[in-house]
Amino acid sequence: MPVNRLFVANRGEIALRILRTAKRLGIETVLGVSDADRDSAPARLADRAVVLGPAQATKSYLDVNLVLHAATATGCDALHPGYGFLSEKPELSRRCEEKGITFVGPRAETIEALGDKLSARALAREAGVPTVPGTDHIATVADAQGAAEEIGYPVVMKASAGGGGKGMFLARTPEDLSANYDRASREALAAFGDGTLYMERYVEAARHVEVQIVGDGDGEVVHFGDRDCSVQRRYQKLIEEAQVTAMPPELRDRLRAAAVRLTSYANYRSAGTCEFLYDIAREDFYFIEVNSRIQVEHPVSEEITGQDLIARQLSVAAGAGIGVAQQEVTFKGHALEVRINAEDPLNGFAPSPGRVAAWEPPTGPGIRIDSHMRPGDLIPPFYDSMVGKLIVYADSREAAIERMLAAIRAFRLEGPKTTIPLAAHIVDHPDFRNNTFSTRWLEDKCLPAFLQE
Amino acid sequence: MPLKQSDIEALVDLFSQSGWDEMHLEIDGEELFLSHDSRALGGASTAPVPAAVGAAVGAFAATPASPSPIAPSGTVPGASAAARPSHWVVVKAPNLGTFYRAPAPDAAPYVALGAAVTPETELCLIEVMKLFTTVRAGMSGVVREIVARDGEMVEYGAELFWIEPA
Repeated sequence: MPVNRLFVANRGEIALRILRTAKRLGIETVLGVSDADRDSAPARLADRAVVLGPAQATKSYLDVNLVLHAATATGCDALHPGYGFLSEKPELSRRCEEKGITFVGPRAETIEALGDKLSARALAREAGVPTVPGTDHIATVADAQGAAEEIGYPVVMKASAGGGGKGMFLARTPEDLSANYDRASREALAAFGDGTLYMERYVEAARHVEVQIVGDGDGEVVHFGDRDCSVQRRYQKLIEEAQVTAMPPELRDRLRAAAVRLTSYANYRSAGTCEFLYDIAREDFYFIEVNSRIQVEHPVSEEITGQDLIARQLSVAAGAGIGVAQQEVTFKGHALEVRINAEDPLNGFAPSPGRVAAWEPPTGPGIRIDSHMRPGDLIPPFYDSMVGKLIVYADSREAAIERMLAAIRAFRLEGPKTTIPLAAHIVDHPDFRNNTFSTRWLEDKCLPAFLQE
Repeated sequence: MPLKQSDIEALVDLFSQSGWDEMHLEIDGEELFLSHDSRALGGASTAPVPAAVGAAVGAFAATPASPSPIAPSGTVPGASAAARPSHWVVVKAPNLGTFYRAPAPDAAPYVALGAAVTPETELCLIEVMKLFTTVRAGMSGVVREIVARDGEMVEYGAELFWIEPA
């Protein structure tokens, strides 16, 4: 069933990104916006923009009823949820199906199975994909301490329903466990409505690596290479790159094969990402989770493969399959992405909304800007602080780093405080250049030094 | 410091969660009167506040998005906009949904052009996935213009009615 009219249930740069590909493919577009975004760049680009509700996301972007009503009433036959907001709500996928609207994403039951970390790990083990040694649900402190003896300290307690680093607590000793158990459970309950915890071995020095896949929903899966997203602050990614260069090649082959095996086993439909922890000391990787959506960092994979991942999603949605075979996906060069957040790194990353006085992003070969910003635009205080992404592509990692630094120098952005100066500091850092950093490097080493300067 | 739409929304939220009966706020000559009693009139208040939370009458500077080539919206910019007396008050859609002038397909409309209304008079229904919200007049007066078309989708903030205050 072809996609003729697509409803885009998102805002900002990803809404713009989806609209552009839809336009290129000749698909009509309707964008659901909040009152704060009625004059935004994506609202202008869409064939039609409908105002769902007030600025508050719970009364606009996060309201499944409003989004479905708008998609139905405007005659859309497919719906793309982007990332964040409703993208990983099984309810939206299920109810789209009931309304005869093709959901551009996985089936509801797939999102459910992969969204819960425990069932995702169980699925991974069934598919023969290695996971971090850990527990099932833990019910008491005593259980936790008993299990930690077997797993080996340090361990980390996590919210079963969690994500984004909320409700995670590190324990190096049995005393740490008893001191933090209640708090971890409380925080999990507050953040996700479910206080269930599980525990796993804590890898001291790790890289965050992931594999981009697209599945047809019937077991056919194509991967689009791997990414390294180890530059993180509080489990939020700041800089992403493709391909992974910090792992031996044969290990990367196994990583990609593991991602394909797992998502094929799950009959995964649409674009997704399998995230892994790479244990630097042990030279081994463990499955963490599947993100059942298109991700913020998908452009770096597009740059090294020359593929349009949104187009692959729409192809699957139209029932035309992935549209590209594995052997047709080739990998060349290196891509870096810097997230531009309207936050002040010198002030605890406080959000810095407001009017963008000047917005002159760099241009040139190998430079790509994914952003919805225009000069004079207001960054509304209601949503995520990301205002765009600066992506560079070059023949090698070294060349990509130089291109990124030049692009940042040429970037003229005035008004809000942003993370751009920090990004320049990171990319220019000897540890980043030498590729000798872990997921904790930014917080433990790089950031303290940056703040001192 | 003029009250922004977001300020008003926040105040309405806070008020509806509070146990208060009424709230009267005055900042630099701007007044906001909130009440759970739809018959209440806020003293010297000039801008009546509707009973339906969210349908902040007249408080929104927003204008409806212009119709696009595909399936134009039920929101039709009033042709008489320029001629409309300045004291008329607009009733806007509290959210996107389908606009219904009557409680049932074969029933008479809630109000007709020229009808006299009181604050609690029901004007229309806004339906979102079979959930119906009643929009009330929130003021006394006469219905002077019905902007939205029955059975069509209206967007958040779309003009539904213009009322001439009594």
